[in-house]
Amino acid sequence: MGEPLDSAEALEERISALRAAVRRAVLDGDADRARALRRDLSHAEQDWDNALDAQAARAQPGSLEPAPERDDDQSPAERQPRGEPRGGTLLPLREQVHEALSLLQVPAAPRLIATVHEAFYATSFPTARLTSLRRDEERSFKTAPFARPYYICAALAADFLSPSRGLLAISTWPMERRIIGSLSPRVDFLVAAINVAQAIEQIPQPVPAARALLARFAANVRGSSSANSAGRPSGRIEPRSVIRAAQAELAVHQDEDHAARAEAARRAREQLDEPEQLFGAASFRRAATADKLAGER
Amino acid sequence: MSSPGGAGTERRLAWLRGGELPQTHNARTIAALASNPGCARRALLDAAATRKQDIAEHAGYPVPFGMSPFALSRGVVFERQLKDDPGGLLLALLRETLNLDIAEVGFTDLNDVGGSPDLAVRHARTKAVLTGRPDQRGTLFDHPLLRFRVGGRHAYLEPDLIAFRHDDTFHVVEIKSFAVIDGQADPAKVAAAAIQSAVYVLAMRDLVGDTATVHHESVLICPRDFANTPLATTLDVRKQLGVLERQLSRIAGIDSVLAHVPADVSFSLDADEKGVPQRDPGDLLRDIKRVDANYSPECLASCELCYLCRDEASGSTSVLGKSVREELGGIESVPRALKLARGDDPLPVPEDLREAAAILRRAASLRRDALAAARAETW
Repeated sequence: MGEPLDSAEALEERISALRAAVRRAVLDGDADRARALRRDLSHAEQDWDNALDAQAARAQPGSLEPAPERDDDQSPAERQPRGEPRGGTLLPLREQVHEALSLLQVPAAPRLIATVHEAFYATSFPTARLTSLRRDEERSFKTAPFARPYYICAALAADFLSPSRGLLAISTWPMERRIIGSLSPRVDFLVAAINVAQAIEQIPQPVPAARALLARFAANVRGSSSANSAGRPSGRIEPRSVIRAAQAELAVHQDEDHAARAEAARRAREQLDEPEQLFGAASFRRAATADKLAGER
Repeated sequence: MSSPGGAGTERRLAWLRGGELPQTHNARTIAALASNPGCARRALLDAAATRKQDIAEHAGYPVPFGMSPFALSRGVVFERQLKDDPGGLLLALLRETLNLDIAEVGFTDLNDVGGSPDLAVRHARTKAVLTGRPDQRGTLFDHPLLRFRVGGRHAYLEPDLIAFRHDDTFHVVEIKSFAVIDGQADPAKVAAAAIQSAVYVLAMRDLVGDTATVHHESVLICPRDFANTPLATTLDVRKQLGVLERQLSRIAGIDSVLAHVPADVSFSLDADEKGVPQRDPGDLLRDIKRVDANYSPECLASCELCYLCRDEASGSTSVLGKSVREELGGIESVPRALKLARGDDPLPVPEDLREAAAILRRAASLRRDALAAARAETW
């Protein structure tokens, strides 16, 4: 690596060219070519990371911190030589988030995502790393729309269809599920409780982290364990009773929540373009910023 | 809450400020207004909306006010823990405390309006949402933006949360990060939280336009014991509401305070274009001292000028606190009290101080006896 920065730039060009080629191949249905191109792409990305790390190490001798801006979601510690089998901890961050969200089946805050992943996949990650994930995903989507099978995207607030603060969702979910209406926080909490309890039921020996997660849900669903009060469960918690209690409460809110979400989803599909449908309407924010700039001039 | 006086009052307050822009109030500063109702200095500085902290610093009495970054981050973490999952822990807590109905789970985020953090837009949205039809209102409102009129100016206030109960009554919910240990919390902190809640209740009543729909009982959420488990308790803020209303009407009636202040007094810092004060500190201090203060040790917790007033009041009995001052009746200074206690005051004791003097002499003789006994024991 004679000129790391130059080579990194050259690699970036190559990566975007390869991504476009992969997309074309996938859309054409040419699976073999797509696979070959994907392999090239992952090699190029690996080279790009190495080039950048070398550059960073040269810029700051003694520091092994990864470069601040990176297109990839992996840190050097999580990367492994290509071609070797992947272990749980070695998955890129976006895939770990995908695993946790797929289990919950509802939009969730970073902290819950990390806790769920720890409970069911035995690895955790600092929630601070999730803050930039949505932005990275948005950038990636805008460069090459639908090049990835899924994106970690935003949940949309039902009123103005702006991104709901702090919640992450999966792009392949139906729009209704990604809309957050007034009742949705509670409905999603109950659905998450049911899904977590069902997942725990299938594990013969749940780890303490999983039990603690269930206890957290149980403490905040009335009637899910005997003699509990907010935040403080007591005694052993049966997944069955959590599911029963959550379903009972869910029945109260479900219809109203569903109607509100369906209405907002219809609006979103009509009014927003594709990136906005996934990452939220930004028009309000743009207008406000424009006003502010006009005021300053 | 009407604006203070007429144009003449406004001109005098602007003169006191030295032509600077008035400072905006927040819940903390409005709450501080209520802490020492008898202090003309404080009332004037607040009514003129001066930069009290800068004034105190320039006059030579800087105060180390402001919160520790550790306390701030603890507060943020605690609030986030509750708000991260508004449909979970927070709701369960409030259900227990306010007996919310099972169907009352609506959560409305008013932190921004479609991504816009603009205060006026947020206030308009808050008003639209909170005064909508009751069946469309929802139950929990996160960070509504209220507006409150103090001294003729609007201040924006942001309560942590407002919960709405099915009998059409709003409750202000305050999230604080000081711990409730074994059922007990620091009384000073609870009092501060209560008065801040009272500010929010007043602002809410102003917004909704109806006293009855905002309850005088606020909910305080604090960490329990030494963990981060939240605990919700209700706080009756009726007393604080009374105090606040009285104080705010005093600000509105600032004319009577101004009448006792010489016309040439100014708290101006004469700041140059870079904001560096150019006024002679001694001159500023003289002007400040021409307005009467009413120092008590409680001021140390809430007023930026506390060190200045304490220094000024040293030697007087008020530095020892309200209870001592009351015990000593009309005796104003500490040296005088000591003289009376020893009985070596050359002047005859006036009639109205005789009772206090007798108590002091008795206390002094008890102390002498006790000390003598202790000395005899050690020898």
